[in-house]
Amino acid sequence: MTFTWKIGGEAGFGIMTTGLLFSKIASRLGYYILDYVEYPSLIRGGHNAYEVCVSDKEVTALKKNIDVLVCLNEETFHKHKNRLTSQSLVLYDKEEFDFTDNFNKINVSLKKILTDLKGQAVMKNTIALGASLSILGGKIEVLLDLIAEQFKKKGDEIVRFNQQFAIAGYEEVKKNYSFLIKNFLIEKEEKQEKLVLSGNEAFSLGAVVSDCRLYAAYPMTPSSSVLHTLASWQEKTGMIVRHSEDEIAVINTALGASFAGVRAAVGTSGGGFSLMVESLSLAGVAEIPVVVFLAQRPGPATGMPTWTEQGDLLFAIFSGHGEFPKIVLAPGDQKEMIELTLKAFNLADIYQTPVIFVSDMYLSEGHKSVERDWVDKIVREYQIRRGKINLSQKENPQKLEIFLRYKVTEDGISEKILPGTAGYFYQENSYEHLEDGHTTEEAEPRKDQVEKRLRKWQTYLKNDFQLPKFYGNEKAEIVFISWGSTKGIVLEAQKRLKEKGIETGFYHFNHIYPLDKEKFSQLLKKDNKRYLLVENNALGQFGKILAMEAGLDFKEKILRYDGRPITVEEIIEKI
Amino acid sequence: MASIQDFSGYQPTWCPGCGDWGIGMAIKKALVELNYSPDQVAVVFGIGCSGNMNDFLNAYGLHSLHGRALPNAIGIKLANHKLPVLAVVGDGDCYGEGGNHFIHACRGNHDITVIVHDNGVYGLTTGQSAPTALKGYRSKSTPLGLIEAPVNPLALALTSGVTFVAQGFAGDLNHLVLILKEAITHKGFSLVNVLQPCVTFNKVNTYQYYLQRVYKLDKDYQKDNFKLALDKALEVNEEKFPLGVIYQVKRPCYHESLPQTSSLPLVEKKRFLEYDSLIKEFI
Repeated sequence: MTFTWKIGGEAGFGIMTTGLLFSKIASRLGYYILDYVEYPSLIRGGHNAYEVCVSDKEVTALKKNIDVLVCLNEETFHKHKNRLTSQSLVLYDKEEFDFTDNFNKINVSLKKILTDLKGQAVMKNTIALGASLSILGGKIEVLLDLIAEQFKKKGDEIVRFNQQFAIAGYEEVKKNYSFLIKNFLIEKEEKQEKLVLSGNEAFSLGAVVSDCRLYAAYPMTPSSSVLHTLASWQEKTGMIVRHSEDEIAVINTALGASFAGVRAAVGTSGGGFSLMVESLSLAGVAEIPVVVFLAQRPGPATGMPTWTEQGDLLFAIFSGHGEFPKIVLAPGDQKEMIELTLKAFNLADIYQTPVIFVSDMYLSEGHKSVERDWVDKIVREYQIRRGKINLSQKENPQKLEIFLRYKVTEDGISEKILPGTAGYFYQENSYEHLEDGHTTEEAEPRKDQVEKRLRKWQTYLKNDFQLPKFYGNEKAEIVFISWGSTKGIVLEAQKRLKEKGIETGFYHFNHIYPLDKEKFSQLLKKDNKRYLLVENNALGQFGKILAMEAGLDFKEKILRYDGRPITVEEIIEKI
Repeated sequence: MASIQDFSGYQPTWCPGCGDWGIGMAIKKALVELNYSPDQVAVVFGIGCSGNMNDFLNAYGLHSLHGRALPNAIGIKLANHKLPVLAVVGDGDCYGEGGNHFIHACRGNHDITVIVHDNGVYGLTTGQSAPTALKGYRSKSTPLGLIEAPVNPLALALTSGVTFVAQGFAGDLNHLVLILKEAITHKGFSLVNVLQPCVTFNKVNTYQYYLQRVYKLDKDYQKDNFKLALDKALEVNEEKFPLGVIYQVKRPCYHESLPQTSSLPLVEKKRFLEYDSLIKEFI
């Protein structure tokens, strides 16, 4: 059983909070969820919508049909009715609007209850949640608990005041529509505790576990909730979370902190990342570890701030002037987000170079269920690896010595001691430099240092690169290729195709750059296969990387660049 | 105890007679007299003739990008507030390219010392006019004369919430050493604007020009008087240049105001491990 519940209303009236509460309710009742939010770049006046896909099993993609549509205003109905079927339930308030279409009407007197109980406009959401739970067969206690948790600081009276709206909605539906009540949200007998995690929250959690001690950012959708989450935790975690004056200050503050020895990260979207790239090049040549969280949205320029796209991949891979090694990772879902965040901080330290961690609005702001046991295990087993960053004090030399910060090594990585280590000094330098950090313009040392830095890529490919994961049938003729957040959508398409008797394979990349072409190009060069590239952009950017690195040419591409995530249906249509 | 020699790196490549020689020596003397050695100090350098000091001054150095030394310095201080952190920058570097950082670093009262080589020109790129150049200044980039009014760094710092503002003169080394020592010892953001003749490209603001126009503040000058300090800062409009600590007040600095760094430096703290309490938020 899989169903979609969707709520819509005017921006600024609590749709986001309500949607997330619904996800948590379903999760606490023992179900898996995946959710997705649509909102304009406005605080008030636009249309907000939040949909939650709920199932007994892991949900990896959104569903085409809406089973329950909660309309807090008329616009919601008209905007989303094209996804309703004759089986769908429409929860609405007749006092607000009415419709003649052939859907199951659930008229809830939102306005009247609000007036009777002297509530504020946002409490309509609570009534609607109560009504939703009622019609879906869920128990009201879960919602009452969540309300209690949310308002407990404000006292019992406020808790009870808010709870009565939920109860009113619940009871009214139970009384008037008992014949329509579904068993979609019956509490599961055997429940596995699950987290309801957005991509940004998964990154935030990963950053804390990785022992990142300074996070700097300038607000930019869709990365801002990382800033908010980490800032709300700062007293507890001890991480310094700094909102600097601009993105250039953001990355340079992180580089300063990293120079001084702590793990540091920054977060932004395409526009802010553009401002950072000169400094990314500084991190490259001065060999300063930093993790850059890049949550993409449709550009160019201000673009469509609250929508999704994978349009900055080529920019990320080629960001920064000059030639220096960087590592680009792009998780496919919340679990990979945690795993790869943990890895990203290790890689930045081991290779003493920037790691660009690419997400997008769809992954960053949508929530997905992640089993608690899985999280506990990965957190428990995480090993911090700082490579050649030497945190201990060295033996004090007889007399002050210059430390060879950029010693030429076989693996390209040089030892770093922390500034303040007694008996030594060195400089990290944005100019080309000698092994001791002093500026040079001589040809030989320049060559040595360029080669030393680029050797880090070879070391990375040997030790830490991972080939794309393969999903599906290895013998299948149809093979999908994708990267990052499109993973779950392709997986769902594969499942549905299999149900129709069509076998497929799927290579999903999350270690995006550099690529070990020797290892993977053979995988993707079979004559008898039909390769389909799936990307949420207009140019097929990852396809271009594969073409550049391994001479692969994709004739079939499934691309979407209207700000919306690719759907399972449009993939299936192409087969 | 460290010596001037310990702090001396390569032989400087500054032009003979350049004001940077005086500033470079004053920084070393101030650090020696404050009992620091090169392994105990972090210095961030901007890009320009001033930033080239990276090779001449031994310390834990970060030779950064043009304009970006201040946020780097802030990051170092946040990560390890035990280290004294200096930023050696130029006027184009700090008041032009990095102007936004300058304003906000003043606001934050980050405990760093910013030493600005103020020569009114971009020396390293052969003499284009800098933000502090006088109106009408002719240079390769402004052959018809500069249209903009000059930046007033002292006034800008004062109105941005700074807690320490001083002005020094590269031609008066001993006085500059005194100022630098006070600046480095000051808890909070300290700006030392150093008037520095560029003997190669600036034919207006020469040693002679400054010698006729600088004067030292009286011993009984009230340095905690904001309005007086602002008056002093505005004297540049009459081409008068007060030397000394123009303004100094006490205010908690940024890292002291953060509970995260109220005691141990960030780099020395134990790793946070109480993940359970965070995970619970998502259930």
